[in-house]
Amino acid sequence: MATANIKDVKRRIKSVENTMQITKAMELVATSKLRSAKERAISSQPYFNTLYETMCEIQQDRGFKSIYTKKEFLKTVLVVVLAGDRGLAGGFNHNVLKLAEEKIKSLEQNGCTVTVFPIGKKAVEYFEKRGYEIYSKEYQISENLTMSKALRLSDKIISGFRNGIYDKVELVFTTFVSTLVQNALSITVLPIERNDLKDKEQSKSSSSGNAEKSAKSALTLYEPSAEEVFDGLIPKYISGLLFCSIVDSYAAEQAARRTAMESASDNASEMIDSLSLLYNRARQAQITQELNEIVAGQMGNN
Amino acid sequence: MVIYMKSYKLKIVTPEKIFFDGETEQIKIRTTEGDVGILANHIRYVCNIVAGPLKVKDSNGEREAALSEGILKVSDKGVTVLASTAEWSDEIDLERAEKAKQKAENILSDKSRIDEFERAEIKLKRALARLSVGQRQGQL
Repeated sequence: MATANIKDVKRRIKSVENTMQITKAMELVATSKLRSAKERAISSQPYFNTLYETMCEIQQDRGFKSIYTKKEFLKTVLVVVLAGDRGLAGGFNHNVLKLAEEKIKSLEQNGCTVTVFPIGKKAVEYFEKRGYEIYSKEYQISENLTMSKALRLSDKIISGFRNGIYDKVELVFTTFVSTLVQNALSITVLPIERNDLKDKEQSKSSSSGNAEKSAKSALTLYEPSAEEVFDGLIPKYISGLLFCSIVDSYAAEQAARRTAMESASDNASEMIDSLSLLYNRARQAQITQELNEIVAGQMGNN
Repeated sequence: MVIYMKSYKLKIVTPEKIFFDGETEQIKIRTTEGDVGILANHIRYVCNIVAGPLKVKDSNGEREAALSEGILKVSDKGVTVLASTAEWSDEIDLERAEKAKQKAENILSDKSRIDEFERAEIKLKRALARLSVGQRQGQL
């Protein structure tokens, strides 16, 4: 028993070592990718925040209305799902896809027709396999999506909205909270919810006084008109939102992968330790047995 | 006589980075309504900008940049320009802009690609803005 066992254990140690090498390497790659992704995520913030603020301010203008804010009976919904291109990232893909599916189910229960717009290879595969109606499959790569691609993407979403193919756009993605925590969440992109915007604006400006604030923004000069500025802003807002969430989701993916690979490496080294113990024991047992055999042989001769 | 102009805070932001953050005396920028110059103490003003040149003037002289479409916002705190892309005149890749221009023109003249028309138009405008700013830089 002992000899066969030794060989087996040795082979297992070798294979676990190889796996650990891979997970270690992936961990390092994810760490460096995470760093650059985090930087990108942070540097895209000011642009988006200013856009958002401006939009809030325009909405406070008197008599303001836009086709992007009108809220009618919502029947058809487009759900944009952002996931990764690759697996081996812990629960990253699973969490966001599960949330998306729950969202779709609850929308369908309310009598909505849902079309899915998956971004990232994993999302495309997932929804294709489950037979959902898919809006477009061309965005299989969510990694390194540039601003111009985000613009094209938002053009697509906006034109569908304007042409009435769907009345509502939801976005499901993962947000990067910290290296250890990533949350999957869903937000409504279109139509823009006026009350939501106002609430946030109010909570932000609560220190300076709301009455003063709204009186102030009403004095702003919009050229040619508040509506036109707002409508011109929408594509930028949506592409900015998409870009930010893609960058965010990418950072979250890298963080999730890093954590997953870290624990995989830890597990591997733990496994190697226990296997080494087993191996040494088996070796010892073999030596003891051999000694026993020699001694027994000697005694037999005597 | 040297006239000292009052300066104000200017911030130019693109999705990739904060392109410019500092003091300026005057900017000239192309909006959907035409070229606009902003001096200090301007009233609150918001408008959309189109791809075109941007001139930033401060006590050291004038710098020129090529912007893509975005918005211009003048508030009490200063002026913020949001643009999809922004490059100083010396950073512009003229060759690339020339190629982009030709590509956009091809699409625009091709009737079978009508669905790409709008995008190509935007691209053409961007390329033209870069070319005009970049070529002026070359002449200096």
